[in-house]
Amino acid sequence: MSPEAGDQGASGRGMVRADLVTGLVLLALGVGVVVESLRMPRFEHLNINPYTVPGLVPGALGAVILVLGALLFLRAARAGGWRTGDGAGAGAWSADPGVRRLLLTAGLCVGYAALLVGRLPFWLATFLFVAGFVVLFEWPLAASRSERMRRLAFALLFGALISAVVTFVFQEIFLVRLP
Amino acid sequence: MDALAQLGQALLGFMTPGALFNVAWATLLGIVVGALPGLTATLGVALLTTLTFKMAAADAILILICMYVGAIYGGSRSAILLNIPGTPANAATTLDGFPLARRGEAGRAMGIATTGSVLGTLVGILALATIAPVLAEFALEFGAFEFFWLAVFGVVIAGHLTALDDPIKGWIAGFLGLLVAMVGQEGIHSYPRFAYGSTDLAGGIGLLPALVGAFGFSEVLIVMKEPAAQVVKAATDRVVPRLKDMTRYWRTIVRSGVIGTTMGILPGVGEDMGAWASYAAARRASKERDQFGKGSVEGLMAAETGNNAAVPGAIIPVLTLAVPGSAPAAVLLAALFIHGVRPGPLIMIEFPTFISEVVAMLLLATLGILIYGLLLTRPLLYVLAVPRERLMPVIFVLCTIGSFAIASRLFDIWVMLAFGLLGFVLREMKYPMAPLVLGLVLGDILDKSLRRGLVLSDGGLGPFFTRPISLVLWLAILLTVLLSFGKVRGALARLLQRRASGEETGG
Repeated sequence: MSPEAGDQGASGRGMVRADLVTGLVLLALGVGVVVESLRMPRFEHLNINPYTVPGLVPGALGAVILVLGALLFLRAARAGGWRTGDGAGAGAWSADPGVRRLLLTAGLCVGYAALLVGRLPFWLATFLFVAGFVVLFEWPLAASRSERMRRLAFALLFGALISAVVTFVFQEIFLVRLP
Repeated sequence: MDALAQLGQALLGFMTPGALFNVAWATLLGIVVGALPGLTATLGVALLTTLTFKMAAADAILILICMYVGAIYGGSRSAILLNIPGTPANAATTLDGFPLARRGEAGRAMGIATTGSVLGTLVGILALATIAPVLAEFALEFGAFEFFWLAVFGVVIAGHLTALDDPIKGWIAGFLGLLVAMVGQEGIHSYPRFAYGSTDLAGGIGLLPALVGAFGFSEVLIVMKEPAAQVVKAATDRVVPRLKDMTRYWRTIVRSGVIGTTMGILPGVGEDMGAWASYAAARRASKERDQFGKGSVEGLMAAETGNNAAVPGAIIPVLTLAVPGSAPAAVLLAALFIHGVRPGPLIMIEFPTFISEVVAMLLLATLGILIYGLLLTRPLLYVLAVPRERLMPVIFVLCTIGSFAIASRLFDIWVMLAFGLLGFVLREMKYPMAPLVLGLVLGDILDKSLRRGLVLSDGGLGPFFTRPISLVLWLAILLTVLLSFGKVRGALARLLQRRASGEETGG
């Protein structure tokens, strides 16, 4: 019945570790939220109903997060989350081609959305991002120099096309303001 | 009879070239969005909300509903042909759909998925048409106390059912969502919580940018991390469903339709669980249990009926309580507010024809998936063959525009990025996203209801526990939490077993 029953065991060890760290992070978050909620104004001088103070609900939610974080932490600690791994974890992780693709994707996306968009005209930023994305991922797949050139040409064309279509469709047809 | 006349009138109202054109393109786009791994129903509805927010309300909502129904159905294509669920709702479809396709029966599998989806949606629509007006009237009894418990109930039940192996992670996701909803000006004294002088934070975290991040950007990251998928050999057998497949499994269809709809109605639980629960129930009741997972027609039928039945199901609480039944329904709820429709207990009074209009919209979308399902086999294969290296950057560009366009704030792009990265990390650690979304939507209701309730009772907790509907809700929450502890469940199972073995043996 459960969607993920199959892959619980495979990464079990790493998961216990992750739970331990997440538990700690949530504990800290819970404490932080409770403290911040207590510091929120109570507006006594405005003579408001004391049950409507702004900090009430966030404080309660912070307390729940704190308890859930503690439960997660204790469970992971009891399952042996403290024991250090075999040391091969980090090396194997960075050599995994999936992780390399992930980091490249994350870098490109954050670079585009956080740095390019808003500074460059939208069409230019989009062209650079789409063409760059395709080039960086398809370049290693090419076997020969000529194929590489073909892929580069395709990426530039594809980037230009997407940038033009997206800008036109959103701005002219759907009347959306672009960044 | 009055309701039927109203429905007929609503259907007639959509018989204009403009509306039919919208149904045609939005359903098709929905199927494509659903079929493409990396594009989910939630993201599709969210992106279309941005595109349609300048349109008239009826057009925009029609388009969104067609996208929603189309995407949940379209996901079955990649589940069958790629062994990758196109949307999370089609995960159970892969179990039997892909083995059927590998056996050379991809066409038959797609036909069954079409039949199941159409019939499932129809069961859900029937429930929507009959239950929603009654539920809306019942919901008039809801006060601050009940809405407070409803918000807690939603997060607890969604957290439990979307993370059955580890409910604590579902609850963490849900309460994190509630907490994020606290950022920004609160609704009673307009105090900007957790803003630290930033006007952007004081405006709050937008639901749509957060959703586009959690379901768009994080999905892009996941798709790029996985190894590339291969399309199974193109379908050669016929896709027209066989009557025998339908008549033979009518019990499964009805059961899955009812289970799917129920899962849809439960806050935040949605299509994924609609499919899984129907699949599990079908396996338990089936005479050919050993075929499940190896290409069982019945299993595929159950999964695809269950997930599509959850679509109208999830819309029921949206319309009557303003509480979303699933993640895409949460976007739909936000879109309704944007377009000036105020869903909730007063819907039958303020917008008396709206429920029948939604029923008519769903019927049109169902007709759309039926027609496309039978016609579009080959073109969709080409769509599935687009390499992810070219598709994903385009999706991300759409995510960026989508999060920016509603409020024209660059801050919303930052929110999208943050939720994308956070969503990715949480999903890798097996935290479900649906409760997080539900928490984001319910945060405001929880906040106002608790404080208003306390004012009404002058600080007393009594009414929270003794009013009849409140009583039912908090008992349900308590039961859900207790049952998730292995020890309690074990003790209960032993008790039941002892009783059963005392009465009779076997079974």
